[in-house]
Amino acid sequence: MGFTLPPSSTWPVEPLGVLALRWRSRCLLLIFATRYSSLVIRYPSPVTRHLHPLPATRYPLPATRYPLPATRHPMRWIALHLPHLSLESFTATLAGASAGPIALTDGHRILNANAAARSFGIKPGMQRATALALAPLTTLAQADAARDAQALTAVAHAALAFTPSVVIQPADARFASPHTVLLEVQASLRYFGGEAALRRRLLAELAPLGHRIHHVTAPTPLAAASLARVHADLACADLTETEAALAAAPVWLFGPGREHWEALQGMGLRTVADLLCMPRFGVARRFGQSLLDDLDRALGRQPDPREPIVLPPAFDSRLELFARADTTDQLLHGASVLLARLIPWLAAQHAYARRFRLLMLHEQRSRRDESTPAVTTLEVALAEPSRDLAHLLVLLRERLANLPLSAPTLELRLQADDIAHRAPPNTELFPTPRSEREGVVRLIERLQARLGPAQIQRIVAVQDHRPERATEVHTASLQRPVQPLLPRAVIEPLTTDSDEALQRPVWLLAQPEALHLRAEQPLFEGRPLNLLCGPERIESGWWDGDIAERDYFIAATASQALVWVFRSRVPLASGVSEWFLQGRFG
Amino acid sequence: MDGLFAPTAAPTAAPAATKPAPDSPPLRPPAVARRPVLRPEALHPSLWLGHQLGRHADPPVPSGFAALDAELPGGGWPRRVLTELMLPHPGIGELRLLAPSLVAAQRADRLVMLFDPPAALSGAGLAQLGFDVEQLLIVHTRARVIPGTDTLWALEQALKSGHVGGVIAWLPPRLRAERLRRLQLAAHAHDGPAFVMRETSAAQRPSAAPLRLALRPGGIDVLTLRLLKRRGPPLEKSLHLDLLPALPASGPELDFTSAAEAHGLHAATFVNLAG
Repeated sequence: MGFTLPPSSTWPVEPLGVLALRWRSRCLLLIFATRYSSLVIRYPSPVTRHLHPLPATRYPLPATRYPLPATRHPMRWIALHLPHLSLESFTATLAGASAGPIALTDGHRILNANAAARSFGIKPGMQRATALALAPLTTLAQADAARDAQALTAVAHAALAFTPSVVIQPADARFASPHTVLLEVQASLRYFGGEAALRRRLLAELAPLGHRIHHVTAPTPLAAASLARVHADLACADLTETEAALAAAPVWLFGPGREHWEALQGMGLRTVADLLCMPRFGVARRFGQSLLDDLDRALGRQPDPREPIVLPPAFDSRLELFARADTTDQLLHGASVLLARLIPWLAAQHAYARRFRLLMLHEQRSRRDESTPAVTTLEVALAEPSRDLAHLLVLLRERLANLPLSAPTLELRLQADDIAHRAPPNTELFPTPRSEREGVVRLIERLQARLGPAQIQRIVAVQDHRPERATEVHTASLQRPVQPLLPRAVIEPLTTDSDEALQRPVWLLAQPEALHLRAEQPLFEGRPLNLLCGPERIESGWWDGDIAERDYFIAATASQALVWVFRSRVPLASGVSEWFLQGRFG
Repeated sequence: MDGLFAPTAAPTAAPAATKPAPDSPPLRPPAVARRPVLRPEALHPSLWLGHQLGRHADPPVPSGFAALDAELPGGGWPRRVLTELMLPHPGIGELRLLAPSLVAAQRADRLVMLFDPPAALSGAGLAQLGFDVEQLLIVHTRARVIPGTDTLWALEQALKSGHVGGVIAWLPPRLRAERLRRLQLAAHAHDGPAFVMRETSAAQRPSAAPLRLALRPGGIDVLTLRLLKRRGPPLEKSLHLDLLPALPASGPELDFTSAAEAHGLHAATFVNLAG
């Protein structure tokens, strides 16, 4: 200790009162020394370090030496680290042709390589020329920070469905982006049924994006982000566990540590535990205060406020294709990547897309090529707002299959701003009228997407006596009921025991078919018709120029089928039959 | 069949008879326990004897014609399978035959779809048959030829979705058997009757549909049916069904004289000056 009593022999003889005063100040001094001794020496000297037996974590400091701040609101940070983000975001641009070896470069160095490339011996850090010598057919591409950021944003949007405080770990000053998304979930744990359940659901939501994800939970954001770089799956319950996990981690986890990696290694400081054993002032003087600050933030001794991301009001994501896309399949593959990013954006705000837009940016054939449009826009409107990836993809496939493309596509963009907020769909085990209605709407939507909206029709019986005008055909609309031009006709259905008979046949000919006559009798398929019932006179349409003056009869053909024929009363040219076939009783 | 399921003597019958008491009456032959006759049709809905009508796991849809229901396996139009109707040409009363079952589906708030009807449909005619006309969905798959696509795709999707209550489809002529088999597989998910209309000559060719009927007009407002294939013994005789009458019940009335007379009155008619 730094305080020692003076030898008693040097004490002069004093009067009693003075002695009492001295005693008092001595006591005060003693109290001061014992109370604040931890201020004087904060780190154990190398001697004391070796006095303690080393536990398995190689970090001997007892927790009592570092009084941890008693946080009233403990936090749970989940860090999602995507170790192969650059490679995965590049593979997405290949539009399905991702079989061979792929390596990403940064200038002349290999940054990352896929499994096929690694099997040839290509490793990160290798020279570009060496990699090409090992595997000449390797697809080499430049790493693109903007492309990675787009993919990482989708991950952050997916995380927003679980908590509002989602942070994209910022890039270090001089080093690459950490490709890490942080989310604080303490307030959401109860709702999602515990941390394990939340993590399971989070990973399930992220699965369609197709990334390999390291996920680590810790009480501080920096500890979670740092540990996610070395652990694929880790949960630190409290600060003590975090400290133990961090202590075993290499020093380069922290940005400043990476900067001084050589020096730290030279001093034999390999793990964070080694660093924590060093005197603070020495560490600060040699490696800068920022390293100490990072350590303190990771261990929860310094506050680490983070600014959560805000969801953009409109979705806009782009994907630059590696090769020109000529076929629908290639386009669809790229579009599916973008759609997979749209779904988390919708899920984060509990919304459903009402329409979305796929923009295809084309390659101009020549510089002065005016005929090729720069962009083809495909607008997909949904009858029922949806955020079901499979359904959206099916609709897009049908629409793309019908779309003639004038030029190969270089880049895809997906935009969505028309969204609907509504209650989530029910997930019943057994079909209900509501789920069936939703299924029908989806079916009609798919049929319309492939066949064209005009091919799906509904009919209405309206008030007109002319048979060809008594039925209006309308394109089936999913949003609203059919609006006929004329008032609806009211027709009572017949019952089997009534005396009434059918007045109208079910089948109508688009154009009345003229019947030949033999001996004043109409012929049908060369055999005379047997008129059974009639006439029913229809005179109508003088007001709209399509006058109908007809006497209708029900007739039986030679094969005993019933047909509906009429005799026109408007004088026709001579030699033309006045008898026409109008319909059949189906 | 009879030998297989005939009652047999139980080997463990009457164990008390093996140790007769000394003062018991003379030994009687061991009692034969009458085991109930094994009835395969009681075991599983997919089992039936050759002379019986087959049944379906799902309750069938009553056709609305008692004479027809008596001959159809299960007592009505089957669900989850295709029902093939062969007719010489449209307009012989086929919709009057199918209307009761499809109207029942519409009343149960389910969708009825018509694929490629061969002519324009009259709303008034359908409404008289009992249909809720505006709820019918009519799909034209052959109006626009899309290269590389399948005209039966739409029908297959509708059957597969399982959300449609009833389907009538007019199939293109000379359809290959494997295409029909695909439809039949898709129909497994379809909870309701699925009728496909085909030309008469298709009756000669094999088909995956478990129920096939040939239709022809059998008189005024009478439809003659022949069951070509069903789950059960073949039916030799034809069925004659009385359809909803197209002619008034008071008998054929024909007033040629008034028609001819009226036709003569050119002065009373409107003359289309615009034409």
